[in-house]
Amino acid sequence: MNNRRFLFWTLTPGFAVLAILALISIAGALYFSVMDRSLRYPDYHFAGLYNYQRLLSDRRFLNALQISATWEIVTVVGSLVVATLLSVLIFETVKSFWLRNLICFAFLAPVLLPRVAAAFIWRFLYSPSLGLINYLASLLGFGPVEFLANPSLALMSVAIVDIWQWGLFFTVIMLKLLETLPKDPIEAAQLDNAKTWEIHAFVTLPMLKAPIISLALVKAVESLRSFDLIYVMTGGGPGTATETLDLYAYQAGINLGGRISYASAMSILLLVLTTIVFTLIWRGIRKWSV
Amino acid sequence: MANIRCVNIRKSYGGHSVIENLNLDIADHEFVVFLGPSGCGKSTMLRMIAGLEEISGGTVSIGDRDVTHLHPGERGVAMVFQSYALYPHMTVEENIAFGLRRQKVPQAEITRRVQHVAGLLGLESFLERKPKNLSGGQQQRVAMARAMIKTPKLFLFDEPLSNLDAKLREKLRTEIRKMHLDLKTTTIFVTHDQLEAMTIADRIVLMRAGAIEQQGTPSEIFDRPATRFVADFIGSPAMNFRDCMVSRNGDTVELSAGSLRLQVPSDEFGGLADGTTVEVGLRPSKMDLAAPGDLNAIPGKIILVENMGSDGQIIVDVDGQEMSFVTKAFRSLEPGQPVSFAIDPTSIHVFSKETGRSLRKAV
Repeated sequence: MNNRRFLFWTLTPGFAVLAILALISIAGALYFSVMDRSLRYPDYHFAGLYNYQRLLSDRRFLNALQISATWEIVTVVGSLVVATLLSVLIFETVKSFWLRNLICFAFLAPVLLPRVAAAFIWRFLYSPSLGLINYLASLLGFGPVEFLANPSLALMSVAIVDIWQWGLFFTVIMLKLLETLPKDPIEAAQLDNAKTWEIHAFVTLPMLKAPIISLALVKAVESLRSFDLIYVMTGGGPGTATETLDLYAYQAGINLGGRISYASAMSILLLVLTTIVFTLIWRGIRKWSV
Repeated sequence: MANIRCVNIRKSYGGHSVIENLNLDIADHEFVVFLGPSGCGKSTMLRMIAGLEEISGGTVSIGDRDVTHLHPGERGVAMVFQSYALYPHMTVEENIAFGLRRQKVPQAEITRRVQHVAGLLGLESFLERKPKNLSGGQQQRVAMARAMIKTPKLFLFDEPLSNLDAKLREKLRTEIRKMHLDLKTTTIFVTHDQLEAMTIADRIVLMRAGAIEQQGTPSEIFDRPATRFVADFIGSPAMNFRDCMVSRNGDTVELSAGSLRLQVPSDEFGGLADGTTVEVGLRPSKMDLAAPGDLNAIPGKIILVENMGSDGQIIVDVDGQEMSFVTKAFRSLEPGQPVSFAIDPTSIHVFSKETGRSLRKAV
C-alpha cells in the first residue's frame, strides 16, 4: 500500500465521524433556528429569520455578547500574563531541579481538577460567611466581600478561577519552553549589559513568540467552553452579570424559557461570529509572526 | 584596552574540580590563544573571565580592576560564541545595536557606529536581514560586529570558526588577526585547532586537564615543546615517537632502537644517563630523504605515499613500526621501495619516560 492510500484510509474514518457529528448538530440547530419551536407546544411552523431579527434587539443577548467578549479577553490575557510572569520568576529564582519539578507538579494540579470541582472549591473559598478568603480579609480589617454576589466583582471572581487553572498550567509549559531555549543568546545579552527583565522582554520571550501565540489560541478556544464553571459558580448571576452567550442560550432554550428555536438561532449566531473572529485573528497573527 | 591577571583560579562542579590554582597574566594588546583538547578547561577559563561561569576560588582582574564578582555586562568584555549566539528574531542591525541600546546610547550615535562596523566587516547590504537568512560566515561576521561595536577592553572568542568550512575559516582567521592589528584590543581566543592557534597567536597557552602545560610563542611551542604531550598535540602530521636506549660515548650520545641510531650532542640535553630508556620525538616535517650512510639516517620500507599538494607524507615501516616524514620529492617514491630519511640533530626531541618532560636544556 502506498503512502497516499495509507493516509486516506487511516484519516477518513476519524474525519468522517467528526464531520457527521458536527454536521448533524449544526444542521439540526440551523433547522430549529428558522422554526418557532418551543417546549410548551408540540407543533411548530416555519418562522424565517424572525428569531435572528429578535436577537438583534434583545438587550439580554447584547449583554451576553459583551460579557462573552470580556470573558474571552480577561481569561486569555490573564492566563498568559500570569504564566509569563510566574515562569520567568521561577526560571530566574528557582535553580534546583527538584524544587522546580515540585512546583510544576503543584501547578499542574488545578487544571487536572474537573471544572465543576474547581468551581465548588472556589465557591466555598469565596463564601462571605465560611470562606477562607473573607476570613483573611477580616483579619486585615476588610468587611466580608461578596465576591460572587456583587455584580461588579462576580465576573472577575469567576475569571480568577479560570486563570488559576489555566495560568498555572501555562506557567509549567512556558517554564519548560524557557528551559529548552539555547543558552548562548541569553549569555550574549548578559554580555551586552542587558538587565534580567530586558533579557526576557527583548530576547527570550520574542524567541518564544510562536509557541506563546499557540497557547493564546488554545486558551481562546478553551475559554469559549467555560459554561460549566460559570454555571456552577454563579449560574449567570447576579442578574445577568456573568451570563455569557452559551449560558443565555441554555437559559432561554432549556432551563427556563424552553424556546428551542430562539436558543438555536443564538448558537448559530455564536458559531458564525466565532468563526469569523478566529479567522481574522489567525490571519493577523500569521502576517505578524512572519 | 587592558591587561588581564588571573590568580589562583579554581573551578569545581559539585565536588569535582576541573581547574586547580591556575595563574595567568596577559599583557595589554596581546593576542593569546587557549589551546588544548576538548575538556581541558579552556572554554571554562574563558567563560570565567567573561563572568558567565562562577569562579570557585581566586581572582580575575581586567585592567587592574578586580572583576571576580562583577556581572558579565559590567566587565567591559565582548565575546564571540561558537554558535554565533545571534538574537534570531532581530535584524542584523538590531543585533549589532542591542548592546548600545541597553547602554542608552543616543540613536544618532548608534546609527553612525553601526554603519562604521558594518562597513568594516562588509555587512552594509545585510543590515535589514534576519540571521536565518545569512550564511554561516555572514552570521559570524555579525557576531563579530556585535562584539566590536562596544569597543570592549577585552575580546573573547570561544571557538568562533569551528562551524565554518575550511576555506572560510582561513579567511575569517586572517580577518580576526587584521582586526587585532588595527584595534590592538587585548584578545583571548579559544580553539582546539592547533593550526589555527599557530597562525593567529602572539602567545599560545596550551592547556591539559585544567592546568597550563606550556605557554609561549607559536615557534617556542613548536620547536621547543616542554613535554611529550605538547609535542604530540602540536604539529601536523603528528610527531613520531620511539623508545630508545641511551649509550654515551664521549661528547656524543647515541639513542638507539632497532635500526634507528641517532647521534645527538650530549651538552644540549640533561639526564641522559648511560643505559636508560628515553622517548625520542621526531617531527615528520623536520625530516627528509637521505642517503643510506648519512648521519642519523633511518632505513625503512615505504608503506604509503600521501600527496598533500606541494609536499608528500611518506609512511615508512621501520622495524615493524610505522614512522612518517614529509618530503617535496615524493613523486618518485612508490610503496614497497626501500628508503632512508634523516633528521637534523638540533630538531631531535628527547623526553623522560617517567615525567614526560623534555630533556633538552633550556637555551
